[in-house]
Amino acid sequence: MKITTLSQLEDLKRQGLTQTYPDKIKIMVGMATCGISAGADKVYTALEKKIAELGLDAVLEKTGCIGFCQREPLVDVIYPKQVRVSYEGVTPEKAEALVEALQTGEVFAENILCRIDQEDFLIEGKIRPYANPHPPALPGDIPTYEEVPFFKKQVKIALRNCGFIHPERIEEYIARGGYLALYKVLKEMTPEQVIEEVKASGLRGRGGAGFPTGLKWEFCRNAPGDMKYVICNADEGDPGAFMDRGILEGDPHAMLEGMAIGAYAMGAREGYIYCRAEYPLAIHRLEIAINQAEKLGLLGDNIFGTDFSFRVEIREGAGAFVCGEETALIASIEGKVGEPRPRPPYPAQSGLWGKPSNINNVKTWSHVAPIIMRGAKWYAKFGTKKSKGTTVFALVGKVNNTGLVEIPLGITLREMIFDIGGGIAGDRAFKAVQTGGPSGGCIPEQYLDTPVDYESLGALGSIMGSGGMIVMDDRDCMVDVAKYFIDFTKDESCGKCTPCREGTLRLMEMLEAITDGKGEEEDIEKLQDLSEMIIDSSLCGLGGTAPNPVLTTIKYFREEYEAHIWAKKCPARVCKALIVFHVDEDKCTGCTLCRKRCPVEAVEGVKKEAHRIIQEKCIKCGVCFDSCKFDAVIVE
Amino acid sequence: MGNGGQANKPVGKVMVVGAGIAGVQASLDLANAGFYVHLVEKKSAIGGVMAQLDKTFPTNDCSMCIISPKLVECGRHLNIDILTLTEVEGIQGEPGNFHVDVLKKARGVDMSKCTGCGTCLEACPIRYEPQMPEMERMARTAYAKATDEDAVTAIINRHRDKVGNLLPVLLDINRQFNWLPRCALEHVADELRIPLAEILRVASFYNAFSLVPRGKYIVNVCMGTGCFVKGAPRLLDRLERELGIKHGQTTEDFMFSLELVRCIGCCALAPAMRVGDDTFGRLTPNMIPRILKSYVESYGIEEEEEAAG
Repeated sequence: MKITTLSQLEDLKRQGLTQTYPDKIKIMVGMATCGISAGADKVYTALEKKIAELGLDAVLEKTGCIGFCQREPLVDVIYPKQVRVSYEGVTPEKAEALVEALQTGEVFAENILCRIDQEDFLIEGKIRPYANPHPPALPGDIPTYEEVPFFKKQVKIALRNCGFIHPERIEEYIARGGYLALYKVLKEMTPEQVIEEVKASGLRGRGGAGFPTGLKWEFCRNAPGDMKYVICNADEGDPGAFMDRGILEGDPHAMLEGMAIGAYAMGAREGYIYCRAEYPLAIHRLEIAINQAEKLGLLGDNIFGTDFSFRVEIREGAGAFVCGEETALIASIEGKVGEPRPRPPYPAQSGLWGKPSNINNVKTWSHVAPIIMRGAKWYAKFGTKKSKGTTVFALVGKVNNTGLVEIPLGITLREMIFDIGGGIAGDRAFKAVQTGGPSGGCIPEQYLDTPVDYESLGALGSIMGSGGMIVMDDRDCMVDVAKYFIDFTKDESCGKCTPCREGTLRLMEMLEAITDGKGEEEDIEKLQDLSEMIIDSSLCGLGGTAPNPVLTTIKYFREEYEAHIWAKKCPARVCKALIVFHVDEDKCTGCTLCRKRCPVEAVEGVKKEAHRIIQEKCIKCGVCFDSCKFDAVIVE
Repeated sequence: MGNGGQANKPVGKVMVVGAGIAGVQASLDLANAGFYVHLVEKKSAIGGVMAQLDKTFPTNDCSMCIISPKLVECGRHLNIDILTLTEVEGIQGEPGNFHVDVLKKARGVDMSKCTGCGTCLEACPIRYEPQMPEMERMARTAYAKATDEDAVTAIINRHRDKVGNLLPVLLDINRQFNWLPRCALEHVADELRIPLAEILRVASFYNAFSLVPRGKYIVNVCMGTGCFVKGAPRLLDRLERELGIKHGQTTEDFMFSLELVRCIGCCALAPAMRVGDDTFGRLTPNMIPRILKSYVESYGIEEEEEAAG
């Protein structure tokens, strides 16, 4: 069936609503890659088996990631005509207990993360309340979704459906207002109006550079040529970031709808999604989504019966970080080596196969439909003067609550890390937060009150980047972190231009010398000089930003470099050449565990007597430190 | 070696070992100063690494523009004797009077007659055989099965009509065999009419491809920043010890290949790794043996001891 009228879309929406919110118990398991690696597939199988065994009248579904990856596996239960409850850290055993409780008609009261009283149908601006948010069986002190600190400050626009719908069912996307924006655009708006709306919303590229999206669209629309392409950059190459994966695995249609709207505005008929091959599940779900949308006539020829046609094809990346750069990405789609080329000409003039092309990130595309439906004014309410709206961050590293968070731009780093993130894990001391991946920088404690927006982070020498936010504590060595990023960019440098290819190699050699305890007096200045030279003379953004981690760590953590160079000590006790392991005789109980686990037989001692580490044999693998239950192994 | 001439005249012959840009320049300077130079190079041609580079550091000058006139000059210089495919085996004597033993490997070509036209290279039916590593030779025999060739043909046919289809084809072949066998690439070159050199350039650029055979299970250790700060390097240490290989290598029985991946997007459950298609999160080094064992019984044997507190 091809949908051509609003009433047909409404019919499908009603069908989707009954499917999403059935009249019986519905159990949903968060099955994105993060959930699966935490064991959600085992939980799903256990639930499936137990439901069949007990003959429980319930619907079991998969859903995307609601963002709170730290507490995975997450299972949500919709108690019909009552409330929705989120369960955290569910094991297969708990899952069975859950089904048993449901079978007896009870509310399962263990492992509760929160209860969800109402769902936000963002596209239509409606709230869908649950009938009975306080069923007596539910313990009284359960927080609501909005009260959980992790969710409290979030505003979910791009992630609006993640964790609420089955990502492989287009009806469920439509149930929450999906494809209404595309309908509105095709039937009621001219391409110019669409571009004006996006411009007025202040949306900026969420891939990292923050170029105004509406302006970029306008350039592409105004470029001469009758064949144009829109491209979705899903090559999320930044290490420590998984926002795009979260959206593609949880709500692929949000991105597709945005792309179709963009294609209409720019006059493109074909689109490509360049997704990295490391995300097999995302690719699988995208394929399903495209197929379903084509069947319903929401993609493909004559969308909604109009003369607008738009076809989308997925292209897989093959593991090259530089392919996130737009000109390299285009070369890669063309089947070539993914090397960037100088700009101008910009892709808006001459992109894929020499035709005008527009590239936006997954997150940027996912913001489009809400902007169209709710209007530019509504969207511009969020954020700061220059950085409007919300953005998605992957909050990871040494915080208590790791996961995907979507925040209005302008909230401070402190709020991100201490309110949403719940502070540093294990009550350690905060040391730095790294944003922007290998192109970004490390921000120290004194700047924690900086608002998260393009300009403020830029002023600190970091960048917004695509959305990785990695928190580090006092056990992370900043020289080692700088070395890690330079190692990354050194390997990922395509080798086309020399400053980047040779410069990162030299930076790496110097940093290696420093962490090996062979650093010399003038190394810090040399690092800075070389870094500035690389920034000034590289061909593309990869080289132009590669030294940022070095420069920011020198700027904010110079004393750590000096400790490595002068005192030959690693204050964070990370750099192997500068640390020694030994046993605290007073604490050692002689349990022999470290001796048994040591891979090189470097621990000697007899049972019930203090052990000793033979330094000549020790390879500093840290196994003894991890194994000791009495904190008797000390690193210095 | 000296000729014992008058005091002010340059005397003797000089041997330069290694014909990279430094060796070439030194030979030219010496030859122009009147010395006879023996330029020894291990590889089959002079030029070294610089001849392979696009640009030079830090000025971005074209490297071939710098080196190629020197190579030509070096080749034509009457005072320079180029010894390629040659290695120094021993040196005796003192400054001014050295005796050097060199091993000149057989080239199988009469150097005085060869003009370097390249015809023999194209006509040779076993063009790549001589330089093929043992492992690839093995896999090549294994690949020769008809089913493998059919599989490659099927992959090519699946993508034949797409524009820019090289990458999708290579990805599928890589998935099918876990690596890119040379003969499969030759097959692709024939079918898609793309020069093999270009295919190899693409194949060697992207991290996902391997040009050497890999094991049944590819262990991808995530080295994303999230995993890095949460101890991925120590996870890798442990894996390298348990498997007895370094990252980028394959176990002898072709069961496991150990690789680093940039990020698998599982940062919230760091550190993470992927074995084949399965993802594991929240790992500690001590969990590694058990995971390996669940794939191949003979791996990761560890005494299951927990000493009494």
